[in-house]
Amino acid sequence: MTRALTIAGLVLFLLVILVPFWWIASMSFKTYEQIQFATTIYVPKPFTWENYTGLWSETRFPLWLRNSVVTALVVTLISTVVAALAGYAVARIRFPGREAVASIILIVYLIPPALLFIPLYRVLAELGATNSLFALFLSYPTFTVPFCTWLLIGFFKALPDELEEAALIDGAGRITAFVRVLLPLAAPGLVASAIFAFTLSWNEFLYALVFIQDEKALTVPVGLNLLIYGDVFHWGQLMAASVITTLPVVALYMFIHRWMAEGLVAGGVKG
Amino acid sequence: MPSHHLSRRTVLAGALGASAALALPRLGFPAVKKGTSLRLWILKTYVEPTNKAIEASAQRWAQKHGAAVTVEYFTFEDMQTKYVAAIESNSTPDVGQLETSAPSRFAGMGQLLDLTSFSKQIESQAGKAPANVAPVTMMDGKVYSIPWYVMGAFWYVWRDVFEKAKVKLPGTFAEAKEAAQALTRPKDNFYGMGQSWNRTADGYGVMQSLMYSHGVGWAGKDGKYKSIKTPQMQTVMKWATDIYTNQLQPADTLTWTGSGNNENFIAKNIAQTSNGPSITFAMENAVAKATDAKDKKMKEDALANHVALPHLGGPDGRRMQAIAMSMGVFKGSKDPEAAMSLIAHLVSPEETVMVMKDSYGQFAPVLEKAKTASKDYFNKNDNYRTFGRAAEWFAPTGWPGPVTAAAAEVQASNLLTDAPAKVIVDKWSVDQAIEWEDKKIKEIYDTLRA
Amino acid sequence: MTRDAGALALGAPARRGRPRRGRQRTRDLGTAALFLLPLFVLVLGLIFYPFYRAVWLSFTDKLVGYPERFVGLRNYEYLAQDDAFHQVIRNSFVFTIVSVGLKIVTGIGMALVLNGIIRGRNFFRGLFLLPWITSTVIIALTWRWMFDAFPGRGFFNSVLLDVGLLRQPIAFMATPEGAMMAVIVANWWRGFPFFGVSFLAGMASIPRETYEAASVDGAGAGRRFWHITLPGLKHVIIVTTLLSFIMTINDFNIIYVMTRGGPGSATQVFATYSYQVAFQQLRWGRGVTISIFLVPLLVVGIILISRYLLRDRSGK
Repeated sequence: MTRALTIAGLVLFLLVILVPFWWIASMSFKTYEQIQFATTIYVPKPFTWENYTGLWSETRFPLWLRNSVVTALVVTLISTVVAALAGYAVARIRFPGREAVASIILIVYLIPPALLFIPLYRVLAELGATNSLFALFLSYPTFTVPFCTWLLIGFFKALPDELEEAALIDGAGRITAFVRVLLPLAAPGLVASAIFAFTLSWNEFLYALVFIQDEKALTVPVGLNLLIYGDVFHWGQLMAASVITTLPVVALYMFIHRWMAEGLVAGGVKG
Repeated sequence: MPSHHLSRRTVLAGALGASAALALPRLGFPAVKKGTSLRLWILKTYVEPTNKAIEASAQRWAQKHGAAVTVEYFTFEDMQTKYVAAIESNSTPDVGQLETSAPSRFAGMGQLLDLTSFSKQIESQAGKAPANVAPVTMMDGKVYSIPWYVMGAFWYVWRDVFEKAKVKLPGTFAEAKEAAQALTRPKDNFYGMGQSWNRTADGYGVMQSLMYSHGVGWAGKDGKYKSIKTPQMQTVMKWATDIYTNQLQPADTLTWTGSGNNENFIAKNIAQTSNGPSITFAMENAVAKATDAKDKKMKEDALANHVALPHLGGPDGRRMQAIAMSMGVFKGSKDPEAAMSLIAHLVSPEETVMVMKDSYGQFAPVLEKAKTASKDYFNKNDNYRTFGRAAEWFAPTGWPGPVTAAAAEVQASNLLTDAPAKVIVDKWSVDQAIEWEDKKIKEIYDTLRA
Repeated sequence: MTRDAGALALGAPARRGRPRRGRQRTRDLGTAALFLLPLFVLVLGLIFYPFYRAVWLSFTDKLVGYPERFVGLRNYEYLAQDDAFHQVIRNSFVFTIVSVGLKIVTGIGMALVLNGIIRGRNFFRGLFLLPWITSTVIIALTWRWMFDAFPGRGFFNSVLLDVGLLRQPIAFMATPEGAMMAVIVANWWRGFPFFGVSFLAGMASIPRETYEAASVDGAGAGRRFWHITLPGLKHVIIVTTLLSFIMTINDFNIIYVMTRGGPGSATQVFATYSYQVAFQQLRWGRGVTISIFLVPLLVVGIILISRYLLRDRSGK
């Protein structure tokens, strides 16, 4: 009985989760007429690639994609470095105020972007960073770093103490111990953290919307938002854009979904 | 005239403008230093060829003077935010295309150069703008931008549908509502009208046209707040909300995005709607992209059957709130003379006509000589002739007063479209909605800082 | 108690090992300071400083293009009597409470289902997390289309019309209730996998012996669930709920892209209203004040989260 319930539940969840994805993907392969006049509902007939080609050649999507990639890579780099350093210090170095720092990281993580976007806009404007990707390079770490640090604290803590001790006994300094011994071992954690940072950066919308107005410097989410609210209606292209935007994250995610689940847990549930 | 603030800023702006004007040679146009580089902001319309045409025009100027122009775009959606951002971060362009309420708004902030003398030179070259459009460019009696064109809104109808049902084509809002009642066939998924009170120009623009055509304005001729609790406003609100009852419109009309009414009209789900020429553009495009003979015939028929009527009138006249585009020079510009030269080039009759050719009827030139020069272009067919007349019916935001920052904020605060929504969605009474709207408008005028 | 949260983050018992000698200790401190420097610069410059500026701005009448003037509590007073803001508060709480409630229930269901399968559990767990990693803008667009009244685009309308259950498309998002339902669904769909995965991990930490003992005593699956699973998950549920509550009440993306706060102001929430006031009406003073109203709630949330993490620690 419970077995049947479990299977039923599984199927239900699969449907709930996959149907929306399928709907979008399927529409991305339909022609304008099929969508406009609802000629075929479930399966695109004829199946067409024109939305994808049109998206690529007629809109600024390739540019936005490039911007998103560049931003995500730069932010990932910054975040991983900052988070690794801070995470290591909090996890492995006993210094006064250690617990306070960990608390601050948690608190900062919980401050919502919706609160900061206005004053942050002014700060970035004063730095001359607005209207370019620099605004994102500076602002994105504010939410990626706390999360990644929290994650890495967990990872570093899980490594045995003895390793560093051995290195320190051998006369190596802290920094060498960190770089030569800890980092390589924490590699899976670093990878997970990097992919988190990439995903968070890839999907961000509010800051990109507010800080950048130049159409050539937009990222994908903001560009898509622009397309949908215009007077022209290339629905198929929008769907195609959605598919293309989701694929990289899904691909990356394949590698680390185990860590992701555990990372979420590490972030949300301690003990 | 509203009192103005930060007199020091205005004085500075005036001084800059005056000195720039004084620096102009008596005859002929501003001189341009070779190698000057200017930033130009223009509106990205829904018609891509038009955007390219304007850019090309700017490049022609650049070539002629050995200068450089970088063109950047803003869209209908981010018109406000883009300029706001630039003002706050001191990165305004040299020349900016300004929509209806922008010149007075930015001039009030001291951001625009005084172009009064320059505008006189333009007058001699390209003619004057009609009296109903000129106020857009002025504040406190000074001119801060050069008007270029009006992007009109028109009342689109399906002629064949009207003919079949023997209903007269509407000239007023009242007639349109009656026609909708006669034409609506919910069972066939066909509706008499598609007017959304959404937060786009299709919404707040039509609401203003509705109000102004009934003689209702929230500001007086002096630009100060005036109460809208009048019988005429009752008529206006009733019209705005009655069309949502009796199944005159599709059920989701209120939630349409900017393209919702386009799509529904082109799909022949609705008989009437207000829109800019982009509907015609879409249909002309469809003919060009037709796949086979049968498809082509169908699309040509559609093109022939759709009519763009002048925007509806009311008991007080035919007034159409629309986007009036003008060009201004920002005070941060390092080369105001070159900026003015660029503007003179863009609004000249020759260049205007070249842009018109690729505009699919979207722009109705405002300056007389440009208007005359583009007459042939608009003579294409009835729809285009109507497009060309857009400037005739233009009424600016804040009618009958001048365009002020407060008027602009009323439009930007979504009050105009939220009020009918409260009746339609929250089931308020018409009186309550008007009362609320009036109170909110007064608040804006009271608290908008001086 | 936040210090304890910090201690808890560091987890486990104090490190064993040789006590550090004086010089090493100072060097440690120095290294720690060095390692923490980038984080501090980031946090101070781009989080605490803007936060301080936000508070300052809320006491001014900053209007774009003009320098600000100090006006004391005027913005707060205005918002307190602004009926649009009252609606924003109502909407935000309805949106958050319903969505989080649904997420809790679905999360439990998802955890139970995943817990019940052994082969392929990791695979399905990964699959079910897909909504969580997708861009919220795309999720918002997706659900906007799912609920669309235009049959070619709207999934529900297409299917219902096709099957014959409907003769006319339903405009789901045209009414305030419908629009609120639609944004809640989008937010729920996106968020419940997080709950499910957390609860699954929580379930894994309930000792098997407890279940076995209960079965031996004759307790059926239902009773085992109510008396063992749920209490065992209590801590996880609370922490996850608090986190999600904070995230959801501050949501911008989903509502902005799906409805822009409409129809009318039916789905206007704190973040979208703040954006509208600041960037369309150009009133930054007031716009920031809207967001600041949530700070007390945020503080309470943080304190509660810390306390629960603390209770867990002392319980061990």
